[in-house]
Amino acid sequence: MNLRGGWALIKSMWLSWMQHRGFFFLLAFGWMVPPLIYLLVWSTAAGGGTVGGFTRGQFVAYYLVLILVNQLTYSQTNWTVGDVIRIGDLNPWLLRPLSPLYHALASEVAGKVVYMAFVVPVSAVLALVLRPELHVTPRDGLAFVPALALAWGLRFFWGYWLALLAFWATRADALLAVQDALVFLLAGQVAPVALLPGAMRGLATALPFRYMLGFPVEVLTGQLGAAELLSGFAWQVGWLALAVTLSALVWRLGLRRYAAVGG
Amino acid sequence: MAEPQIVVRHLSKTYRVPEREAGLVASLKSLARRSYRDVEAVRDISFTVERGEVVGFIGPNGAGKTTTLKMLAGLLYPTAGEARVAGFVPWKRQADYLQRISMVLGNKSQMLWDIPPLDTFHVLGEIYGVTPAALERTLDELIELLEMRELLAKPVRNLSLGERMKCELVAGLLHRPQVLFLDEPTLGLDVSMQGRLRRFLAEYNRRHGVTAILTSHYMADVVALCPRVILIHHGQLLYDGELNGLARRLAPFKLIRLTLRNGQTKTDWRLPPGVDVVECQNGQMTLRVPRAEAPSVTAHLLNALPVADLAVEDPPIEAVIDQIYQEGNL
Repeated sequence: MNLRGGWALIKSMWLSWMQHRGFFFLLAFGWMVPPLIYLLVWSTAAGGGTVGGFTRGQFVAYYLVLILVNQLTYSQTNWTVGDVIRIGDLNPWLLRPLSPLYHALASEVAGKVVYMAFVVPVSAVLALVLRPELHVTPRDGLAFVPALALAWGLRFFWGYWLALLAFWATRADALLAVQDALVFLLAGQVAPVALLPGAMRGLATALPFRYMLGFPVEVLTGQLGAAELLSGFAWQVGWLALAVTLSALVWRLGLRRYAAVGG
Repeated sequence: MAEPQIVVRHLSKTYRVPEREAGLVASLKSLARRSYRDVEAVRDISFTVERGEVVGFIGPNGAGKTTTLKMLAGLLYPTAGEARVAGFVPWKRQADYLQRISMVLGNKSQMLWDIPPLDTFHVLGEIYGVTPAALERTLDELIELLEMRELLAKPVRNLSLGERMKCELVAGLLHRPQVLFLDEPTLGLDVSMQGRLRRFLAEYNRRHGVTAILTSHYMADVVALCPRVILIHHGQLLYDGELNGLARRLAPFKLIRLTLRNGQTKTDWRLPPGVDVVECQNGQMTLRVPRAEAPSVTAHLLNALPVADLAVEDPPIEAVIDQIYQEGNL
């Protein structure tokens, strides 16, 4: 573990990303749009009453939290991992006494900082205008922090092992698009998981996608009882363990293949 | 006696490359069934390099030079054979090994594009665990040698190719590697920039005694930096020895350049057997003479003709190399 080098890399990546903040602000804006649309759809549908137990103000709160969590957990880095492998840019990384995973992590951390500089003020303005209804209990507030961290880890490593398939298939990033679509459907973007029809809700509970985004949002907005909270964490940790294992395995096998066929 | 810095024994590398013909039908066929072809990039190469030695790898495109360098830098597993560099097996890619080597690629950048070079240098210093004081010292020396102080504050993307190459060299040398792999470091540079980088590498090697392997298609690089060359062709080692020896072995001829008084050119005298006129213009003649007979032919010419100027030379190295590349053997 070369922490000193890793930290320096993060700082430099941040410096280079700040050169393009306009571009990243636009990307962040693009990612905000779908949840914003569903925020407006559901809060209009609720009107003065409720839909599935949610009031207008609760929908606003749910989606504003979701916008922030989505931005914090979305791993844009994985989209470039495949290119790095295909074009041969991996070589300089492999020549350094530092795990190439640091490069991905560095751009993750750098990216988050730049995106937040845009998303936080925009969400704050939206909150002032749309008046969310959010009462966070200490229990939910405390549980939210690990739920968010695990959601990021799961979303990152799940995308990372998919992206590393680029060692074998040149356009493995198509799988990332599938992951995004499933997150959209099953992770609480199109509707809170609680509002999904029975079979889909079962699917959402068992598959990893809800634990990348919807779960921490449900935690903070107080939708989960103690039992659901615990089982949610269990699913999250289980899927994260699998994602990390797969990433390590695919990396090792991929590197062996890369070294065999040449960069 | 200490082990040489680089030991390569019977190293081979065979690539398995997917193969298909161009076109849509062929691409659909290859979806169902892929055919592969084995390409022997490097075949049974052995050599050693002593500490502080600078060796030139020469050979035509696709000869296996870069594949060999990549194996030595730990980027590729060999198909067969073994190698030890600075006491390590390269393809295990141990951190202690990577700390001791550096590979500078003329066609790949390791600089961060959007920020000034100085920032990248500091990141690399941290990655390699160089102390701030040592980093300052090394940077000062390299920047001085390469005369590049004014480049340090510009974003890398605004630098010219030659300026970027200077940065690549600094980035590659910051951690004071013992072994240096230089793959086409002067690729695409103008003549004076090539010259400057050559002088830099020569001076750096003189000061620090690094062991280096250099590949280049510019013979001037090799002539200036590498007393010893290894010639690879079709993945095989064809020659390992002094550069001058290669010329002697390959071209059993000398060239005699001759200028006669009053700018006249003689065409009506009988040449000794085995001597050919290669060129004859502007009052200057070039003769090709078997190496062993050069002295006697020279004496004969001086006696028989009104000679104003005469020089005996080896054929230009480019011509020698071209001959091997074309014929594929020595």
